[in-house]
Amino acid sequence: MGSLTVTGLRARYGRTEALRGIDLDVADGEFFVILGPSGAGKTTTLKSVAGLVDDVDGEVRIAGRAMTGVEPYERNVAMAFESYALYPQKTVEQNLASPLRSGRSGTWSAAEQAERIRQVTTTLGIEHLRGRFPRELSNGQRQRTALGRVLVRPADVYLRDEPLSHLDAKLRAAMRAELKQLGEMSSTTTLYVTHDYQEALALGDRVGVLREGRLVQVGTPEQVWHAPADTFVARMFGQPEMNLCSADLSAGLAAVPTGGIAARPPASTAARPPASTAARTGRGGIEVGLPAELADAAGGSGASVRLGIRPRDLDVLSGPEPADRLVLRGRVTLAERLGRLVELSVDVAGEAVIAVTDDQRVREGDQVVMAVDWSRVHVFASGEPGTDTARLGSAAPLATGADALGGAR
Amino acid sequence: MGDGSRPGGRQPAKPAGREKRSRRGGKSSARERQPGQRRFSPASIGADVVLLGWFVFSLFPLVWLVLLSLKSESEQISTYFTFSPTLRNFGTVLSSEGARLTSVNFSDALLTSVLNCVGAVLVSLVIGVPAAYAAGRWQYKGSGDVMFTILSFRFAPELMVIVPLFVIYNQLGLFDTNVGMIWVLQLVTMPLVVWILRSYFQDMPAELEQAALLDGYTRTRAFLMVALPLVRPGIAASALLAFIFAWNNYVFPLILTGSGHTPVTVAVTRFLGGGGQAFYSLTAAAAIIAALPPLLVALSIQRYLVRGLSFGAVKA
Repeated sequence: MGSLTVTGLRARYGRTEALRGIDLDVADGEFFVILGPSGAGKTTTLKSVAGLVDDVDGEVRIAGRAMTGVEPYERNVAMAFESYALYPQKTVEQNLASPLRSGRSGTWSAAEQAERIRQVTTTLGIEHLRGRFPRELSNGQRQRTALGRVLVRPADVYLRDEPLSHLDAKLRAAMRAELKQLGEMSSTTTLYVTHDYQEALALGDRVGVLREGRLVQVGTPEQVWHAPADTFVARMFGQPEMNLCSADLSAGLAAVPTGGIAARPPASTAARPPASTAARTGRGGIEVGLPAELADAAGGSGASVRLGIRPRDLDVLSGPEPADRLVLRGRVTLAERLGRLVELSVDVAGEAVIAVTDDQRVREGDQVVMAVDWSRVHVFASGEPGTDTARLGSAAPLATGADALGGAR
Repeated sequence: MGDGSRPGGRQPAKPAGREKRSRRGGKSSARERQPGQRRFSPASIGADVVLLGWFVFSLFPLVWLVLLSLKSESEQISTYFTFSPTLRNFGTVLSSEGARLTSVNFSDALLTSVLNCVGAVLVSLVIGVPAAYAAGRWQYKGSGDVMFTILSFRFAPELMVIVPLFVIYNQLGLFDTNVGMIWVLQLVTMPLVVWILRSYFQDMPAELEQAALLDGYTRTRAFLMVALPLVRPGIAASALLAFIFAWNNYVFPLILTGSGHTPVTVAVTRFLGGGGQAFYSLTAAAAIIAALPPLLVALSIQRYLVRGLSFGAVKA
């Protein structure tokens, strides 16, 4: 076991740049997850660490040892491939024995090999399959075998490339829980690649979000979930995706929406000091306050921002409207019933907002009232549609007219 | 709704859809339509006739060869299909009588051919398999040109190089030797082996060898342990093809061997006589004997061959 440090890693395939400067620092025993969409460079990162990609710039250090020019078989790295890469002509047992027989991961007598393989296959629940060939296994069993070939041996760093991606949804959830247990059991230095945000949040000590060869954000699961660095990270996590709509800033709150759609709770009940700058969407459907420093960062009055609200942070209300939360009113245009939950598409004064509720009575055409905590409303810098912009902070309660006068600068 | 599109279309016309009519015999069991399946139509029958004609045209020489080999010397130039068959020709070809007629011992020629071809195939495999592996895995500037150059040995006419080769062989003392023949047959067999096996190696996911590297094996051991066993069907297929091509080669041995190491292809033609009498029936018998070794080789590795030729078609 050892730490893993990656500095300024760059890789290119022909003309396309796969990695544009990756910096990583994985501590000894840490489970680090790299999350990214396909083509982001996840696999290339792993293979660069393993030494399987030629002509990469930057430095990889494993257990403090610089790996430049070191052959893969001398790096003491174990890797589970996305394609499993099981040797088709060998049985499960022979596949697992392969790293033990190479002589580069310690010397193992035949009895020790058999014992170690028995341990690992029992842990993974494949001990009855040891005599089978990979072609005689189901995908889940192959996945376990591939994982077994990695776990069976000692290594400084364990690399796992989308180990769960080819499994069906139920098996994936079960294996995710198993991996969590396995990972804690052996607490190994692991670099784990996935495109599934749930895997990333559930398994990772820390998560790095990769986009087009760059790490956009590195942080604990809580950090990337609650404070995404930008709209890309925000959209990567959560299903359905975060609602994003652009809003214009206006200072002093002179222009209060006439439709009365925006919520203006009494400032006294708000937990935080009310903000005097408001961000309002096109037709005033959503209006939130911005803390002063955040409004300044966005460019002050007249500039615009993007507001982001996760669908699951929106509560569809049936009782009285809360005074200390942002309240949205709208008409349901689409209600998708997904078993226990209903996914709603709500028209809030021209903005399509996705929300999730467990209230089965909601019908298309209904008027609904939704509420969200102020702190759960994310504010991002403005940008063209399709581009990603940085997160500035979260919204604040909106000041009433009197407060606005008092707090005006 | 052409009624003549199907034989037996006399039944009262039903308002059946295409699917109904396409089914043979109108049986009630449902059958999925296969891509190669056709309906009967004048065009399809015409196509069958053409195919049948082509079939007869291409197979008849073989039939004629067999018939000729069974004819006695007196009947060999008659074109009748009725004759008194005899196996004597085969005996004559292999005996000293045949050697007397042609000044080449046919059994020796068979042995020479076997030696030359096995030698050529072995050398091609020893050099060609690693070459194919490198060509399949390693892309570098000009790698396509190198592969094309290797292939060009195949489609360049042998006659183009035969005169310089003859001179070189005479100078080096390789004329009429087995080593010389094995060497020159490389020009025929090596490109085959390299090109066939390269596609096998390309079809094989590189991650298998990468896994072996990470298991702690060197590149050589990863090749020997993982890659090589997986292309065994390809090795069988390419070795067989190489053997057949080497066996059938005529121009190189015709020019580059004398009477000492004549291979079988040249020996067969000796029965046609050099100015003397042409022994057509003996030639036919010799040709059939000469065709047997590759046939036997093909049959013996047929199991691998069928798997080998379809290996790349389906993802493993």
